Amino acid sequence: MQVEMSIVMRRSRCRDGAPPLPLAGEGWGEGISATKIPQEERALSRIASHDAIRPPPQAGEVKTARGRTLRMLGTALPVALALVAAPAHAFIAYVSNEKSNTVTVIDTDSWTVTKTIKVGQRPRGIDFTRDGKFVMVAVGDDDTIQVIDAKTQGIVDTLPSGPDPELFAQDAAGKVLYVANENDNTVTVIDLEKRARIGDIQVGVEPEGMTISPDGKTLINTSETTNMAHFIDTNSRQIVANVLVDARPRFAEFKHDSSELWVSSEIGGTVSIIDPKKHEVIGKVTFEIPGLRREAIQPVGIGMTKDDKTAFIALGPANRIAVVDTATRKVTKYLLVGQRVWHMAFTPDEKYLLTTNGVSNDVSVIDVAAQKVIKTIQVGELPWGIAIAP
Amino acid sequence: MRFRIVAIAALALAASSAASRAADPRYPDWPCTQAKVPEVSLAAVWAGPPLDDVQDKWKDNAKVGALVSKLAARKTPLDDAEKSVKEFLASSASDKTANAKLLFAGLFDTLNAQRSSVMNGLERVTRKQREAADRIRDDTIELQRLQDATPRDDSKVDALSNQLIWETRIFEDRRKVVRFVCEVPTAIDQRLFALGRVIQQEME
Repeated sequence: MQVEMSIVMRRSRCRDGAPPLPLAGEGWGEGISATKIPQEERALSRIASHDAIRPPPQAGEVKTARGRTLRMLGTALPVALALVAAPAHAFIAYVSNEKSNTVTVIDTDSWTVTKTIKVGQRPRGIDFTRDGKFVMVAVGDDDTIQVIDAKTQGIVDTLPSGPDPELFAQDAAGKVLYVANENDNTVTVIDLEKRARIGDIQVGVEPEGMTISPDGKTLINTSETTNMAHFIDTNSRQIVANVLVDARPRFAEFKHDSSELWVSSEIGGTVSIIDPKKHEVIGKVTFEIPGLRREAIQPVGIGMTKDDKTAFIALGPANRIAVVDTATRKVTKYLLVGQRVWHMAFTPDEKYLLTTNGVSNDVSVIDVAAQKVIKTIQVGELPWGIAIAP
Repeated sequence: MRFRIVAIAALALAASSAASRAADPRYPDWPCTQAKVPEVSLAAVWAGPPLDDVQDKWKDNAKVGALVSKLAARKTPLDDAEKSVKEFLASSASDKTANAKLLFAGLFDTLNAQRSSVMNGLERVTRKQREAADRIRDDTIELQRLQDATPRDDSKVDALSNQLIWETRIFEDRRKVVRFVCEVPTAIDQRLFALGRVIQQEME
């Protein structure tokens, strides 16, 4: 710290003798002769110029780390591919990075990044096709869904969504895809075999969360602005019920036995439990973390174990995953994962749960049985969604 | 020439009014699109044992103090910083928990202070930019007056034109730097969280 400071002071002293030419990115202190508090200005210009040399500080740091990872991968890739080809227990996870416009591929055996795929702008919602052959990723700013071939790990096609697709859900057979388009208040219905648009459903303002009931008969869409979970009949494509939940509902998840629908409310700070037959809220999960302000607890992603006994809920800027006993609807444990944890996915054997952490730019690996974080993997900038090969 | 200067000045003013439109009414001088979070709360980055009994004690421990300075400096690559944490705690043996708490308390204080000073700097610069915009506006009007005057004093017109070019350039330049600096509080958050996580992992 001391050393860093003195170097900069010396540098700025040299420049003091020169005419006041503010160079790009160094225009705070040195170029401005009318400075009233030179000491303070210098302190800030140290930060500014230090970082202005290599573009934005945050990006610079991440890039260095990732650059190294990527270089290592150059040699590790053939080995990793060989591993993938072999019938190991390894699964492949795909993570969408909203800010860097990439999808990171993670091998769950070595817990390493095996590839970074360039995709369209603002990738968010991501999922595998049911046959495991393709990965679909909603690239909101390009108004489309891109299709990645899981074998070649390259983009092979696009799907016709509406404007600004964010999240999507597919039916159990993997034949129909429902896409929430954040910008025009519709859900687009796509035939996955023909890869063609077959209809639109008008929903509430800013549709966001999407899920389908295990029997495939009901589509749930949450709308951020009207604070509702819409129940849509997949046959008639009509809304059959609206259930009011707390502010800004973000994500919806059914219990595997269809008995309950869980909906997270980001601003309300709760998870509403809805009886899907009666269309009524029958309970709420609340959260409390000593020392954290209420508004820092923002539930988003939900993961439910196959036996429906345990739910994991991502709490955004609280940087934690809440472990909830679904019988008592109480939190039994909070796990510190990464900054602004958002979405999650289980490995198919349900041994591990992977979470995307938007601000710390990483993915946390939770040992589900032990309810413990065992690993952190650096990915791209602002990781959002995650999908694991079936 | 005249048109160019007026155009530049207009651009600068448009930019300044955009910058002064604060998103959060609580912080009218905050120039960044990123939300202002005045302080990182301990619970957001630490799930380890309480630090109440540690407080400022890290300052009395020379070894911890030196390590805190090194780890808090953003010129220290994060990978190296994490390695240093592991080495330090591995060599602590029986004092591991105590040392881990001291180290994190030091990092928390230091990085939070660093964050505050960057954020104060950003707000101070916003205020200065507002003053600069006013000055550019006044000088532009004055320049128009000089240009229209008869007889016209060309040396005065030239001098003021030059001054206006500099003022505008400095203004624009600061505006660009603000955008970079707006990323710094987040970079500090990331560092604090990453180091805290390593310390907690090493304690387990």
